[in-house]
Amino acid sequence: MKIRFFLGGFFTATLAIAQDWPTYNGDFSGRRYSALSQINSSNVGSLALQWMYRVNVGPLRGVGNAQIKSTPIEVNGILYFTLPDHVWAVNARTGEELWHYSWVDHGGHLVGNRGVGMYGNWLYFLTPDGWFISLNAKDGKERWRKKVADEKLQYFTTMAAMVIGKRVIIGVGGDAMDVPGYLESRDPETGDLQWRWNSEPRPGEPGSETWPSKSSMEHGGGMTWLPGTYDPELNLLYWGTGNPNPVYAGQSRKGDNLYTCSIVALNPDTGKLVWYFQASPHDTHDWDNVETPVLFDAIFNGQPRKLLAQAARNGYFFVLDRTNGKNLVSAGFTGVNWSKGVDQKGQPIPDVAKEPKEAGSLIDIPGGGGTNWPPPSFDPDTGLFYVNANKGYSVTYLTDTDEKPEGYGGSGRTLFSQSALEAIDYQTGKIRWSHEYQGAGGGGLGGAGILTTAGKLLFTGDPAGNLIAYDPATGKILWHFRVGSNVSNGPMTFLLDGKQYLIVGAGDTLFAFAILKP
Amino acid sequence: MDRVNRFVLLLAVFAMNVLAQGRGGQGTRDFLGLGAPPDPVAAERGEKLYTPNCSFCHGLKANGAEGPDLVRSPLVLHDEKADLIGPLILQGRPDKGMPAFASMTASQVSDIAQFLHMRVELAVNRGLYKVQNIVVGDAKAGEAYFNAHCKTCHASDLAHVATKFAPVDLQAAFLWPASGRGRGARSTKATITLSTGEKLTGTLKRIDDFDVSMVDADGEYHSWPRDRVKVEIPDPLVGHRELLAKYTDEDMHNLLSYLVTLK
Repeated sequence: MKIRFFLGGFFTATLAIAQDWPTYNGDFSGRRYSALSQINSSNVGSLALQWMYRVNVGPLRGVGNAQIKSTPIEVNGILYFTLPDHVWAVNARTGEELWHYSWVDHGGHLVGNRGVGMYGNWLYFLTPDGWFISLNAKDGKERWRKKVADEKLQYFTTMAAMVIGKRVIIGVGGDAMDVPGYLESRDPETGDLQWRWNSEPRPGEPGSETWPSKSSMEHGGGMTWLPGTYDPELNLLYWGTGNPNPVYAGQSRKGDNLYTCSIVALNPDTGKLVWYFQASPHDTHDWDNVETPVLFDAIFNGQPRKLLAQAARNGYFFVLDRTNGKNLVSAGFTGVNWSKGVDQKGQPIPDVAKEPKEAGSLIDIPGGGGTNWPPPSFDPDTGLFYVNANKGYSVTYLTDTDEKPEGYGGSGRTLFSQSALEAIDYQTGKIRWSHEYQGAGGGGLGGAGILTTAGKLLFTGDPAGNLIAYDPATGKILWHFRVGSNVSNGPMTFLLDGKQYLIVGAGDTLFAFAILKP
Repeated sequence: MDRVNRFVLLLAVFAMNVLAQGRGGQGTRDFLGLGAPPDPVAAERGEKLYTPNCSFCHGLKANGAEGPDLVRSPLVLHDEKADLIGPLILQGRPDKGMPAFASMTASQVSDIAQFLHMRVELAVNRGLYKVQNIVVGDAKAGEAYFNAHCKTCHASDLAHVATKFAPVDLQAAFLWPASGRGRGARSTKATITLSTGEKLTGTLKRIDDFDVSMVDADGEYHSWPRDRVKVEIPDPLVGHRELLAKYTDEDMHNLLSYLVTLK
């Protein structure tokens, strides 16, 4: 099969995803909104299972049973998806396996893998132990590999590589050992480094005044472990950064700790910072701000605006002007008792009294945050932003009171977590409708992503093993299918030979659905 | 949703906490890919060599002083059985101001390496972190809070409660009993009203937006589509739920300080 697409430049922030789904988010905008409508609100009742593909790799070190967290990409009838240490190509029509690439890691976290990036005939895959690998999409044979992170320093690499023109953007995770974060652009042909953006400034650079010392910056944090988004017209790359280190102990890093827990806009040609917005200044709650910065153009206060919206792990929903990072909306979508409101820039003001204490601080967000990595969606037809939110309580403890704390320096304990699908009005941050899930669970590092479509449908999973279709305008449930395990990735869709498919991963199995007689 | 149905979350939270416990020590080692654990006896011997010889430059905890941070040293982290640390100690780095410790024996070098690996372990392996002194509140104020907010339901059933829980677990248990470790998942009672008006009460087995199942007093299993029956699940934790939204951290600390006196 000849693969002819070069992905760079094909998508803009304002066009819906077309027939294929060639990137982690389907396009560069992160909206996860598809223009396809063959599957729609009037026929969704006849949505039927077409095939299943079960991975068979056994338990993964340190995490147990396989959870497909990757969003498959679909190009020319082939789906490519991943687990930590594994890549598969399967026939999108039938679920037939074409090839399976496996890697033997030498460390790193197997907490998840979000998928692959694609450029021409080449795929890009990141291993738990910091290898950046290019595969031939045709047969899964390795083309080359580059070491991009040291797993012994507790870096791990889980993100889906993001291809923008002749650049492959890759980020890193890992906050166990207090190391600095970075984001890299690499050459799709050779894997060579094109630029590296450091999550922390160097002494004397702008932002260094938000750290007390060179040493504290070097312990930095600000990991870059989820794919960002891109606006080709503005030529800006948007990325969320993770928590500062040590995670729960802030005494050795007094100050705002830029550019951790931020949304940053970078020039993708140079890796230079253009603007930033810090969602959690001086975070002490493990609130990585890596959640997808979703791009859309819409009316705000009567004016057409280029917007960026994010439902953040710290419980706030933010809307920014993505041309300059100016804040338009900051509103809690869960409890936000860790903050004392927002400042004139719209940035939350952390409440010192709610930092982790030796005897515990009661936080009205469960461990893992108000939301986490599972991708949200923005539907331009309803003007609503959808997120699977986690509500509840946790207690956070400071366990390392040394003036130079190490590692996490503390711990958190969830008391209870209740998850809900929330539909947020982007102009006000108000919750238009909310569906609290029946049944147990949700929250933590798992959960389902969200897809919206021009078929007036929203697809996501509940914590009871159901894939569910909702009316995105009202939250009314229109269809469901018991997939057994909880939906563990972001649902995606594409059109192949005139037939619209819906693909979802749940645990160790990929499920494909289509309308029986469209 | 029926507010009372939130109660079924208990099971999942319990499972999450069991998982968290399982992550302690070796579980976290596996998750983080830390490899073989250090030898604590050798590490203790190594510390006695490290402190007089190395701590002046590298700090007592080896996380840096005038000299480099060894806990985050790629050489230390890639070392296995002193294969990298050993030659460095014996030969030094004269160009960077580190003297050679040529007279050290192989076992001494190995012990220092084990000490450094233990330092890495203690910093990184969060499964080993221990919550510190958490009983810091005012027991009298806690007792007053208890009398005002808790006593209606718990007039007498908490005698000796402090003997059943470590303080950190007692704190979690009074905040949200379902999260208390070692308590097990409670069974959830449900009452189902059929379309005929008949009511069945039993132990809830499973519920989602679409179906509900339960086991009745005779051990019989029943299942219904949600749209054909009415489901009532009393929430025995309603008082705790309401208090969670009201506690200040001071209330929480005071209440614990009182409850730990109930021995």
